[in-house]
Amino acid sequence: MDTSKYKALYLQETSEHISGIEKGLLALEKGDADATTVDHLFRHYHSIKGMSASMGYEPIQKLAHAQEDLLDRIRQKRMTATPTVTDALLRCLDGLKALLKRVEDGGALNLDIAPLYASIKDAIEGRLDQAAMTAPAAGRPAAGRPAPDAAAPGASGAAELKLSHVMKVEGKVFDDLMATVGDLIMALSTFKAISHGSRSIELKEGVYMLGKHINALHNNILSARMLPIEDLTEGLPRVIRDMSQKSGKEVELRIEGASLRLDRSTLEGLGAPLVHIIRNCVDHGIESVDERLRAGKPRSGVIQIKAYSKRDKVIIEVSDDGRGINAARIKEKARARGVAEERLRAMTDKDALMLVCLPGVSGADVVTDTSGRGVGMDVVKGVVEGLGGAIGISTVPGAGTRIDMELPLTTSIIKALLVTEGPELFLLPISRIERVLEVHRNEISGGRFSYDGAVVPVISLGAALGMAEAPERDYYSLIIVHGRTLSGVSPAVEAETREVAAIRVDAFGDEIDAYIRPLAPPISRLWGASGITVMGDGRAVFLLDVSQIVSKALLTA
Amino acid sequence: MSKRRVLIADDLLFFRAALRDILERGGYEVIGEAANGAEAFDKARTLSPDIVILDVVMPVKTGIDAAREISHLNMPLKIVMCSSLGYEPIVEEAIRAGACAYILKPLNEEAVLQTLVSLEADTP
Repeated sequence: MDTSKYKALYLQETSEHISGIEKGLLALEKGDADATTVDHLFRHYHSIKGMSASMGYEPIQKLAHAQEDLLDRIRQKRMTATPTVTDALLRCLDGLKALLKRVEDGGALNLDIAPLYASIKDAIEGRLDQAAMTAPAAGRPAAGRPAPDAAAPGASGAAELKLSHVMKVEGKVFDDLMATVGDLIMALSTFKAISHGSRSIELKEGVYMLGKHINALHNNILSARMLPIEDLTEGLPRVIRDMSQKSGKEVELRIEGASLRLDRSTLEGLGAPLVHIIRNCVDHGIESVDERLRAGKPRSGVIQIKAYSKRDKVIIEVSDDGRGINAARIKEKARARGVAEERLRAMTDKDALMLVCLPGVSGADVVTDTSGRGVGMDVVKGVVEGLGGAIGISTVPGAGTRIDMELPLTTSIIKALLVTEGPELFLLPISRIERVLEVHRNEISGGRFSYDGAVVPVISLGAALGMAEAPERDYYSLIIVHGRTLSGVSPAVEAETREVAAIRVDAFGDEIDAYIRPLAPPISRLWGASGITVMGDGRAVFLLDVSQIVSKALLTA
Repeated sequence: MSKRRVLIADDLLFFRAALRDILERGGYEVIGEAANGAEAFDKARTLSPDIVILDVVMPVKTGIDAAREISHLNMPLKIVMCSSLGYEPIVEEAIRAGACAYILKPLNEEAVLQTLVSLEADTP
């Protein structure tokens, strides 16, 4: 059989079976595997064995075959899946993964699987548990045998979350496609302006059709880039299993909304932060079994991941029911790191929590402190913000901590409103806009405006950006925006604490689909702007960072 | 002789693709694919193939159960089992269920085609 032709199919199908094995083994280990689970496990190994044999991947076939035999025995109730047995199977799984990685990379399958193979044979012959009894450390390999891990270099990174490799090669292609569509959309906006001012029905219709097709193309590319969050969270049960085994804590993972889809680049970027956050939950949030029982909590801690969409954003919440963060202690740490006293005094506890994102505060001494957490939270915040998102932390001492990540559903192309201030054009993201109003200057008094039963501060865009002062006008456009949408509290409290403000501009224009490029050095840290787009006529326009502008205005108000 | 029409049932796309290639090169027409035993039964009934190739270990319904049910249809077709499980009890059970040949995986092009040719010899 000409095997090269089937390699892609082989990799795709084995990876599905590997995920199935991972899920099944974890259920088996927890003791909540029924006959169907065992049956499925058997079939997964059987499939991998069969395909590997056809491909001539002998080590994989051999390893899978041994495990298939073992599962067959469990299936026929000729033996039971003791923790040592499942542990051996999990180690073998790492071995299989390492071998499959070699296949994928086109490398030689010269990993030494003998110890892994022997551990399965030992399990079948009933030697494994005997050995485990003489060596009380559970999960240790049989005495006298080299540790099976040695056979699986590259598989030790089980704490790394990876997306399925089926699409991997195409990532760059999609980025290029996206950039091209972005350029098309910007070019289209020029035609739209021309057709707007023209009397030609043919032109109007042509531009309309062009727009429709470009839009369809854009949507197709977007959906091709979307992957379910599942792809990312799939590996988490194993990560948590390994972490909790190491720390001796009991942790249960619940995932909600995993079928929600996100842009692949966003999802890919989330892998590391997610593992960081989970690690913090296990290491610092969730207490030991003893401590939990003393506090009247259930034995095992719960880490909950909840994903849901909100307008054009996706919110991913990661919460634990651990001991929470002590804000006062965090402030103390920040003080020790040289954060100004008056700033700390002005901070609410909620603001203080964000201090764990300061590199200095997330130092090792906070980590060992029982009240703190903070491994790499600065990294997490950086990554999430780099993806165009925001992060929020909320905690209830003694009851748990929640990290919220708010992420854009798609990157690069966003709906935005064109506004003019003096001679300049700017873009405001539609997702932040509540309403657009045209008002007489008398309706604005003392920098405030009555809106929706509340008085909101009015921010002059020109002044906020330090533009030359313009002569007073009779009428202004007010763009009612909200700053931070994420407060990490209940919806009721969130509505109350939401930062609403009015941005005053000279006039507003069309709503456009803008292809936003990130700001590159030397203007990458330009205050008040989060991106730039080039209009159809070649004019560069900044996308405004509403949160930044609003929070500064509120601070100085 | 017109082309023999074959239905392939295997839960793995990998084997369905490999088998399809082998059969097509051997002058057979693959008229359908099934990914489990239940699907195989439905397609055998509706597509009336000359030959049904069934994998043994499949979800929902095993190849052996499917073979049994397909034989009960009393249609003019031959059932061939195809599996990496080669131990006797399974082969015997497959034959009792109505299979008239057994192909062992990994797939070997020559062996597969020879098995199918041998089916013609004992056509009723």
